[in-house]
Amino acid sequence: MSHRPVVEKPNEAMRTCESHNTGDSMNTRRRLPLALLSGLGLLALAGCAEDAPQDTWQPAGPNARMIDDLQQPVFLVAGIVGIIVIAAVAWVIIRYRDKGQAIPEQTHGKPALEITLTVIPVLILAGVAVPTVGTIFDLAKTDDTEMIINVTGQQWWWEYDYPSTGDNASYGIAEPIVTSGQLVIPEDTKVLLRITSRDVIHSYWIPKLNGKKDGVPGRVHLLRLEGDTPGIYAGQCTEFCGLSHAYMRMETIVLTRADFDAWVANQLAPYESPQEGTLASEGEQVFLQQCARCHQVNGIVDSQGNLVVSAPEQYVVSGAAPNLTNLMTRNTFAGATWDLLKAECRDDVWNASPEQFGARYLAGVSEECLNQKDLREWLRNSPEKKPMYADPAKLAETGGKYRGMPALGLTEDQIDALVAYLLERK
Amino acid sequence: MITTGSKLLYGLGGGSLVAAILWFIANDGGSIGSVALVFLATALIFFGAIASYTRDGHVLSTDVAAHASSAANQPSVARSLWPIGTAISLGVVVVGLVSNPGIFKVGVALVIAMLAEWMVQAHAERSSADAEYNERVRGYIVHPLELPVAGALLLAVVVLAFSRIMLAASKDASILLFAIAGAVILAFGTLLAVKPNLNRKIVGGICGLALVALAGTGVATALDGEREQLTIAAEEDHFSHRECTEEKGYADKKAARSVGSKSSVAATITLSGGVLSAEVDGFTGPQQSVVLQRANPSTLVFVNEDEGYRRMVLKYGMVTEDLGDGVTRDVELEACTLLVDKGGQQAFTVTIPKPSFAATEPYSITVPGVEGRIEVVVP
Repeated sequence: MSHRPVVEKPNEAMRTCESHNTGDSMNTRRRLPLALLSGLGLLALAGCAEDAPQDTWQPAGPNARMIDDLQQPVFLVAGIVGIIVIAAVAWVIIRYRDKGQAIPEQTHGKPALEITLTVIPVLILAGVAVPTVGTIFDLAKTDDTEMIINVTGQQWWWEYDYPSTGDNASYGIAEPIVTSGQLVIPEDTKVLLRITSRDVIHSYWIPKLNGKKDGVPGRVHLLRLEGDTPGIYAGQCTEFCGLSHAYMRMETIVLTRADFDAWVANQLAPYESPQEGTLASEGEQVFLQQCARCHQVNGIVDSQGNLVVSAPEQYVVSGAAPNLTNLMTRNTFAGATWDLLKAECRDDVWNASPEQFGARYLAGVSEECLNQKDLREWLRNSPEKKPMYADPAKLAETGGKYRGMPALGLTEDQIDALVAYLLERK
Repeated sequence: MITTGSKLLYGLGGGSLVAAILWFIANDGGSIGSVALVFLATALIFFGAIASYTRDGHVLSTDVAAHASSAANQPSVARSLWPIGTAISLGVVVVGLVSNPGIFKVGVALVIAMLAEWMVQAHAERSSADAEYNERVRGYIVHPLELPVAGALLLAVVVLAFSRIMLAASKDASILLFAIAGAVILAFGTLLAVKPNLNRKIVGGICGLALVALAGTGVATALDGEREQLTIAAEEDHFSHRECTEEKGYADKKAARSVGSKSSVAATITLSGGVLSAEVDGFTGPQQSVVLQRANPSTLVFVNEDEGYRRMVLKYGMVTEDLGDGVTRDVELEACTLLVDKGGQQAFTVTIPKPSFAATEPYSITVPGVEGRIEVVVP
């Protein structure tokens, strides 16, 4: 037998208060459906983004498609289960809400029900596990690799080097190619990335081409990448890696085989010094004095004709700095965070049709298209633009080494000359 | 009035004042030490004044009977070892001063510990006329420190003695010893668990004897030295991996077969049939060239499938060392494994600072005494 609590007759003040509460309660009841509808509407709208270069639901290669083929049915199953659960919970909440009725009979243990409710999820999970495990194994295959690229993460940019060994030689890679920010691969080619890191754990992810893979110091992790349509595919580091993690972006460029061959030939072309007496020639001297300590430009020589080899291991915690030999063949700089192209020129490349894309990308960065604003700001004071623990007063704990590019204190004349020099690095 | 208790404080205070003046003179007006000593003198004289004011706890200096019965006038309840301990510690300090900074630091720590113990015991013994109560007072203060330190020291003695014994015994004997020691400890523990009412004195005696035997054997074996193989390995500088030549010598077969870092290596280099080849994750088939990233720790594993002891050597350029006074010398950068017997494998991790195009000689992996090489490319 249940006992209901004795409720005393409320006094006037309580009545007044009650009437207010009732009004609030009614308002809340009216607002709740509106809030729910608004939430659902926003959720639906979130899926309608047009400019979503990192949309994992728009695969552009066989590996990403494999993942998509798995996630579509899994999301369907999860959605159905979710709706059933939410509907059941809602029905119970509404049907058995407190209307002053007696408390129902309390029971403990319904073996048949409990077993059923255990077996059903097990069967669902088992059903999901079969294609999941199959996909994982398919994604881990490496025996059909056609090209290998080493990918190295460091705070806060990605370096790519193309070995000249193995099958890579058949793509004209006679010498190792080192680049950063933008990874360039030929279309319909099974590329295997050997991912590692020089400092902390990073994670490489180009959503439209494959899943993510961690870059861990001292370990080499393999990730397949293949794009079937020429274009630019964006991604970003997905493992929190320090102060400028949000600025550690990357792009993968898919080119037709002919365009890729042209890109390789350009990357391996010998260094050409700027013409004597030009602003770019002055910039070369500035580069040698200020930048060559960390940044490599292949083939550059000093005034005595000696090959200049950078020594980033002496100045930077990670021991590496981006190779700038062909900087202006890339569309981005500083960890692919800023565009080297002005907005309209960038759009020309990004929005080009697959047939036109290669030519526009290979054109590189012209003087007219150069995003002078960001590049000059970077040269003027890079830590202000991208936080990099580069305060000279706080280097004791890193043995005097920077975690990024420090402010070099360049004059405006030096920056003019440097920009002119860099514009020739194609 | 100068009471019995305040004499010492006034005396120390006065001494501190004199010391402050002397310090000031000796250090040409150096103020920090003088100020500290003046502060010390002030504090001591202040405490002396309090002792005078309270007449050492309201006992009149003329009240002979009260003095005679006061706690401070009771004889020590036990002989104290702390004075001699302090003396020995001071001896350690002196020895450390003339020999080794480490010994000096240990001596200072011992002096502090001995004085602290002495002070606490003196305080406790004058708490009351009841010796048992005084001992409890001492325990409250120092047991929270004494017991963990004593436990740590005991553990250190056990670990040090045991490790000396294991390093001195031959490999086979050490395995046997380890098994026997483990079995005896297990059996003794089981006995204690099964028969919890065993005579405590007997158990304590057995443990004490075992500890003494262990410590004695440890000292004896430490004096005798490590086993021959380890001595030879140390003489050949194996532990620093500096000898990258073909010399014959000691190879630790167990170590060669227990590579812990082979799960994710940059390359596995195999010597088989007198031919070197590289296996690299992602590349199909044996390779004659390996690409290693610049300034990135890369682990290389060497597998010896041929007869005899072999080691892998990686040469990765030259650096110029600054020896000071404008003197420099060129040093070849190289890394190598231990000698590896047939069927064994060893790894090392190397960070190559410069790209290979910067070197006059190509980077390479070789095995001394074997023809052929693996090219190492560092972009």
